[in-house]
Amino acid sequence: MTASGAPWAMVGFGRTSSSGANGTQSLPAKQPRSEIRIVVDLQSDTATAGAAELPAPLLEMRAISKRFGATQALSGVSLELRRGEVHALLGENGAGKSTLIKIMTGVQSQDSGEILLEGQPIRLASSQDAQRHGIAAMYQEPMIFPDLTVAENIFIGHRNRGKIVDRRRMEREARAVLDRLGVQIEVDEPARGLTLAEQQTVEIAKAISLDVRVLIMDEPTASLSAHEVRRLFRIIDNLKEQGVAILFISHRMDEVFEISDTVTILRDGQWISTRPRAELTPRTAIRDMVGRQVVEIFQRNRNEPGDVRLKVDGLSKNGVFEDISFEIHAGEVLGFAGLVGARRTDVGLALFGIAPAERGTVALDGRPIRVTNPRQAMDLGIAYSTEDRHQLGLIMPQSIANNIVLPSLPRFLSRFGLVKQQEEDEVAETYRTLLKIRAASVDVPAAALSGGNQQKVVISKWLETHPKVLILDEPTRGIDVGAKVEVHQLIDELAGQGMAIMLISSDLPEVLAMSDRILIMREGHQMAILDQAEATQERVLAHAMGQAPELEDREARAALRTLDTLVDAGSGSSD
Amino acid sequence: MRATDWKRYLRRWEFLLFVCLVVVVIYNSVNVSNFLTAQNQVNLLQLSIEKAIVALIMTFVIICGEIDLSVASMMGLSASVVARLHESGWNMALAVLAALAVGLGFGVLNGFFVAKVGINSLAVTLAGYIGFRGLAEVFIEDNSIGDFPSWFTKMGQDGIIGPITFSILLFVIMAVVATVILHFSGFGRQIYAIGSNARVAVFSGVPVARTRIIIFAASGLISALAGVLYAARLGAVRASTAQGFELDIITIVLLGGVSIFGGIGSMVGVLLSILLVLNIRNGMTIAGITGNTQTGVIGLLLIFSVLIPNLAARAQGRLLRPPVDPQFQAPRVETTAQNAG
Amino acid sequence: MTDRLLRHIRPEQFRELILLLITIGVMLFFWTQIPNYFDPRSINRLTVGLAIPLVVAVGQMLVVLTRNIDLSVSSTVGLSAYAVGTFLGRHETSPWVAALLAIAIGVGLGAINGLLVAYGGVPAIITTLGTLALYRVLLVEISNAKTVTTNDLPEWMGGLPSKSLLTVKDYDLRLMAAVALIALIGGHLVLRFLPYGRRLYAIGSNPDAAKVAGIPAQRDVFLAFVICGGLAGLGGFLYLIRFGNITVTAAQGLELQVVAAVVVGGVSILGGQGSMFGVLLGVVLIEVMQQSLLRWSGLSEFVKDAILGLLILIAITVDAVLLVRLREAWVNTRRRDRAKTRLSLATEGAADAGD
Repeated sequence: MTASGAPWAMVGFGRTSSSGANGTQSLPAKQPRSEIRIVVDLQSDTATAGAAELPAPLLEMRAISKRFGATQALSGVSLELRRGEVHALLGENGAGKSTLIKIMTGVQSQDSGEILLEGQPIRLASSQDAQRHGIAAMYQEPMIFPDLTVAENIFIGHRNRGKIVDRRRMEREARAVLDRLGVQIEVDEPARGLTLAEQQTVEIAKAISLDVRVLIMDEPTASLSAHEVRRLFRIIDNLKEQGVAILFISHRMDEVFEISDTVTILRDGQWISTRPRAELTPRTAIRDMVGRQVVEIFQRNRNEPGDVRLKVDGLSKNGVFEDISFEIHAGEVLGFAGLVGARRTDVGLALFGIAPAERGTVALDGRPIRVTNPRQAMDLGIAYSTEDRHQLGLIMPQSIANNIVLPSLPRFLSRFGLVKQQEEDEVAETYRTLLKIRAASVDVPAAALSGGNQQKVVISKWLETHPKVLILDEPTRGIDVGAKVEVHQLIDELAGQGMAIMLISSDLPEVLAMSDRILIMREGHQMAILDQAEATQERVLAHAMGQAPELEDREARAALRTLDTLVDAGSGSSD
Repeated sequence: MRATDWKRYLRRWEFLLFVCLVVVVIYNSVNVSNFLTAQNQVNLLQLSIEKAIVALIMTFVIICGEIDLSVASMMGLSASVVARLHESGWNMALAVLAALAVGLGFGVLNGFFVAKVGINSLAVTLAGYIGFRGLAEVFIEDNSIGDFPSWFTKMGQDGIIGPITFSILLFVIMAVVATVILHFSGFGRQIYAIGSNARVAVFSGVPVARTRIIIFAASGLISALAGVLYAARLGAVRASTAQGFELDIITIVLLGGVSIFGGIGSMVGVLLSILLVLNIRNGMTIAGITGNTQTGVIGLLLIFSVLIPNLAARAQGRLLRPPVDPQFQAPRVETTAQNAG
Repeated sequence: MTDRLLRHIRPEQFRELILLLITIGVMLFFWTQIPNYFDPRSINRLTVGLAIPLVVAVGQMLVVLTRNIDLSVSSTVGLSAYAVGTFLGRHETSPWVAALLAIAIGVGLGAINGLLVAYGGVPAIITTLGTLALYRVLLVEISNAKTVTTNDLPEWMGGLPSKSLLTVKDYDLRLMAAVALIALIGGHLVLRFLPYGRRLYAIGSNPDAAKVAGIPAQRDVFLAFVICGGLAGLGGFLYLIRFGNITVTAAQGLELQVVAAVVVGGVSILGGQGSMFGVLLGVVLIEVMQQSLLRWSGLSEFVKDAILGLLILIAITVDAVLLVRLREAWVNTRRRDRAKTRLSLATEGAADAGD
């Protein structure tokens, strides 16, 4: 696969730079490689002829390449953004999207290739350069200054606003921008007091308040509610009318299909295709992204659950979650579904002793337990695999072996407190083989692994504590399709061995496919527990939204668009 | 792939230190006839033995992702406590124990504020840096106290095995113990984990708060011990005793390849760095450079020990987040995926 | 109760209020202990004593705002005082030129710090711990262990320390205090009204966000160190005016008093928070303590450094425990106040989802 990279890249370059008139720049998948070149050459001729029909690109990235150490992050990627056009960028994690954005915004510089603005080559050495050229970006994680006022947050990066801060004018203008977005926030107060969604809104205000010509939106909807997504889309339409070129990045296919005019797909740092939205189907898009046919989601072998492993009764934590009660049997997967702020992660954190609950009882194998710290939880047989691998999951500079052994380190110590390194390596090696962790050896630092393999190391590290109850928080978020299936297989195997699994996931098809029963939460409350047989996407969604279960299918489907990959905002707010 | 890169890099740093050490030693021995004699080398070590001892614990502190600016003030405080108690008629051994207790106590206090109250260690130990020195001033004001019992000054000055003094022997034992703890024990492993990413450590059941308190307690205790040894060697104590030593100590540790951001570093590097700094100072003395100027050179070394790796890393684009391993860019999962064709 | 309070006053302002009350309390305490505590001579001495730490603290504050620290200021003060003193001994110049020279020296030394921190990526604590030693050594080297004495200095200098711009009932506004006050007010205006000042808060508040927001963080941090150096240079000039005799140990330890003042004044060592008013309060409190302890027989004068350490410890503990709590309460109050608005938006949202 890697070997096929070079010719594809050349093709991509040849085609995009000629601003393909018919737009259909995807390659027929079945063409033998040798013929592709010919096809391309033919098409690029016609493309040149018809180029006048399309407006000249506002921003053009030409054959951008970037290498980090041994990794070719981008090779010869080209992209054209036009005025008043929403251009979606699709690709799996590691496809090179973020590198491309960083280059467009001047955070990083390309090794080779050109960036042209209105046909003129420009150099983007810093984010200020990009801003000067009217290129702005907004990110999924709100980039807020908690100590500055809301108005200052919006205008802090602005140039040419005079030598002296005119507070009154700034606040007036901030209010105007926020009014346009339809939110009421005091603009003269520190941004510290804003909720996550409000911070995101301020970010949007910041981006659109700049006289942007090119606006890059990196997963802007990930933590927005359905309502806020609709509002954002109205704003995007508005910006389009004003002639802004928008690069829209999202993992939600439905959003991409709704909002975009053109779709470019990257894979493994290479340009794969650029097509008008109308000529793209979700199926082909996914095929281009993963480079193979879409696979059906994994089907579990469900077995008869055993005795009750974990019994939770009336678990509550003031202002976080209220009256959560459920049982997980040995060999059972209990799915946790919910929308933004459902507080599922907080329930997990409480059971693991990171942020203990205030009321309610927990019993393990029939014996009541009280967990106030993770060490206790581990000793009792509860393990919690976090959703955020980078911040909470792995010691990135350390080896796979060190990471796997860390939680169960006391078991690997000799009498004098020294680490039994041979035993450690053997255990790590076992997991490497068992979970198919792709690394040269267990001495490789975790930072060098792909997302999927890092996730496997995280799971290994918790399996090594020999848990009875395994809490998996978003175990497949941000990992590639192949690794995802492997993780699903693993969950199935573990349940088969009698482990009780609590699966917190925002991927609705995943929850439905993997769980025996599904607990649905909404804003800290338990809405329902559905049996696998009676659970459908519509029903789960209806509960998650707090609607009557008899909700019309049509309405549910409308809202489903925003559900499937919604982020559980509760994760970060436990402290 | 990156593992070997990384190890190569580490090896390179320690190798670089070793080369520097060899160069400095050769330079010194060319200029001074009996430089390479054991006697001279031991004397050399003896001249800065207290700093070397504190550098051992400072290595732990910095790898743990913290810093302790108060070590030199603690040395001054413990020396002052010993001197003041001796002057007021205490038994010398008891006075030493009291000084060590003071060090341990304030070390625990530092650790408490860092680990339990959650204050940045820079701020906490800055308070200690000023406050401990202030306490030393409270104890002995602007006097100089000496007249210690002869066993005490002998401990500081006379060799017990040949030219090897008690302090040097202690240092060698502590260096071995420190190496074993840092690199081979579970405790050492946990320190690296905390220094790299304390939140992951918490989630992995590492007793983060306890480990931090232990580290700061040890830092206080060992600094106090070093202060006592320094008092024994000098035979007299002022409130300003050991002032400015933190510069040398932190320089030694960072020059030894320990990352100021925590989680990275080795004891071998620090030990090489100790020898290097001692020999550089000695070389400067030989070249007739005054003690003050030597301090300036140490200051430069401190800055360059962080600056050079930074610049090198930037040249290699290493400051960026580690990229995805190229090996995995094309997932091959035969069981589930069919090729597009 | 807290709710009502927090609607009217922000946690940071509350902290400054408490500090103000403590400072007044301390002064009143010493007033009962020391005779003639508030007489013109004492007050004049206090204001002159405040001048040097205040000027240096203003620069230090800018640096601390950006999540950095400059320990080298005391060496900069010493070096610029000595260099200007030596220069005046050999050349006839006006006070203005002398002051500018002092500032220029400080700017140069600050630029070295700034270069290493902002562009070299060396943590500020390491850089300035190194340059603290380095600049002092530079002073030792150029001085050859000689001392600048009052005799070396031009005559106009003799009158400067006691020169008063305004005298009300024997209470002077001395030139030195006026210079410090101008620096303080200038600093306040920069922080409040210049985009640069707001960017300093932004950089300390969230460095990652600063990077993507297009803030020239490297240049701004560099500039903060340069300004800090320049003000320390000016502090050196004031030092020369005040003491006349400059040895190689001039101003040694001043960095501790200044950092202590900034921290006690409520400038967060983690950046992004603090005000010039707080810095003024911090400097006043510490100078009052130091001067009063010298005159008070109730305690040995040798306790002053120990008290300084204790003050810092109390200040950072209060910030870490109380201020954080207050802030949480404030955030909650704010969020509750907006809950209504959000609720109406949510209903609208449900309607949206249904179409």
